[in-house]
Amino acid sequence: MSTPSRKRLMRDFKRLQQDPPAGISGAPQDNNIMLWNAVIFGPDDTPWDGGTFKLTLQFTEDYPNKPPTVRFVSRMFHPNIYADGSICLDILQNQWSPIYDVAAILTSIQSLLCDPNPNSPANSEAARMFSENKREYNRRVREIVEQSWTAD
Amino acid sequence: MRNQEGPQADGESEAATSIPTSELDDWANFGDDDIMHQQSAIRAEEVEKTLFLGDKEPLSTLAAEYQSGSGILLEKIKVLGEKYAAIRRTRGDGNCFFRSFMFSYLEHILESQDREEVDRVKANVEQCRKTLQSLGYADFTFEDFFALFLEQLESVLQGNETSISQDELLCRSRDQSISDYVVMFFRFVTSGEIRKRSEFFEPFIMGLTNATVEQFCKSSVEPMGEESDHVHITALSDALGVPIRVVYLDRSSCDSGGVSVNHHDFVPAVGDLPNASSSSVTVTPFITLLYRPGHYDILYLK
Repeated sequence: MSTPSRKRLMRDFKRLQQDPPAGISGAPQDNNIMLWNAVIFGPDDTPWDGGTFKLTLQFTEDYPNKPPTVRFVSRMFHPNIYADGSICLDILQNQWSPIYDVAAILTSIQSLLCDPNPNSPANSEAARMFSENKREYNRRVREIVEQSWTAD
Repeated sequence: MRNQEGPQADGESEAATSIPTSELDDWANFGDDDIMHQQSAIRAEEVEKTLFLGDKEPLSTLAAEYQSGSGILLEKIKVLGEKYAAIRRTRGDGNCFFRSFMFSYLEHILESQDREEVDRVKANVEQCRKTLQSLGYADFTFEDFFALFLEQLESVLQGNETSISQDELLCRSRDQSISDYVVMFFRFVTSGEIRKRSEFFEPFIMGLTNATVEQFCKSSVEPMGEESDHVHITALSDALGVPIRVVYLDRSSCDSGGVSVNHHDFVPAVGDLPNASSSSVTVTPFITLLYRPGHYDILYLK
């Protein structure tokens, strides 16, 4: 069935295929335009460099008036990412606007990796380490990067 | 979720000693995110008790609200009553300005059948589309919202198969799948206008929030539910070329003794004039909104 949200998601997909931003990729799962798989590559020249992080995006019929539920499938260590992979990011919550498409969502998450907001911690250990012991924080991030290569 | 209301079933004596520490733990675990979620849940529950747009009510219902309150407000409502007959309330969900404007504008077209105005506003809408394109917005992110507004505009004109009645207009304005799309259309238009004339709007935005134009549009214009201020009203009025009167109902009073009700007319900039208020022609807005601190409703002339 073709609903406004499904039609819009088709266009999101088209844009992502034709004009993919650097370091991200994403596509709907087979036969289900409402559920997407995506991969974010860790930005170059940062501790995240080389990581391939998998996510899922679950859309509802309210899209694009409501944001999708976005979750990391890969294990993460980041001040704004919860243990279950869900992400604390303003544009996915109260600052959402239909102006954002899938490409913009993934790009925002990618930049969140290197630019965390320690004031609203989802992972308090990561937040504390980020502000108090950057060396140890970076080491933990490198571990996560290495794990991202081996996990399925 | 973590809030426990009243004593639990399991042992009051134990509860009495354990409450202080568990409360402390709770608050320590209670992150910004939880607070934000709870706050928005409370807000959502509260606002859903009222319709997006209420029925037209006589102004006396407004007075009834303040019966036990401030005398100056009651006097002002009496003054309002000399000119205005009715009020239509909107839901206080942060979109009340845009939703009031939507209904008021479409209702005006439905009643006046002013095809000239429809053609004029359509030309402005096309201009807004070009503005967004030139600002780098991807067409597909806004075209559905534009299409839905134009569809509503077309359908309030009578004599077509798709024409709608006043009742149907009210139904659609209460239907989230239409109403929110049109509100979002206005948000796109407003954001585009502010960004296009960022030099003009910058000082007003700085005065309001100390944010840059870009931050302001991203955080206070483009997301649904963000409240509107004079910056939004000016931008929307200019972009669509529609004058808007805002009548202020607050506790302010003048020294001269007599009570008067202030209003401000937002008159769109003519041509390419950067300043909206320098128009020499006197225009009487056909849209009148009642502003009470934090909220907009629709007012109807006698």
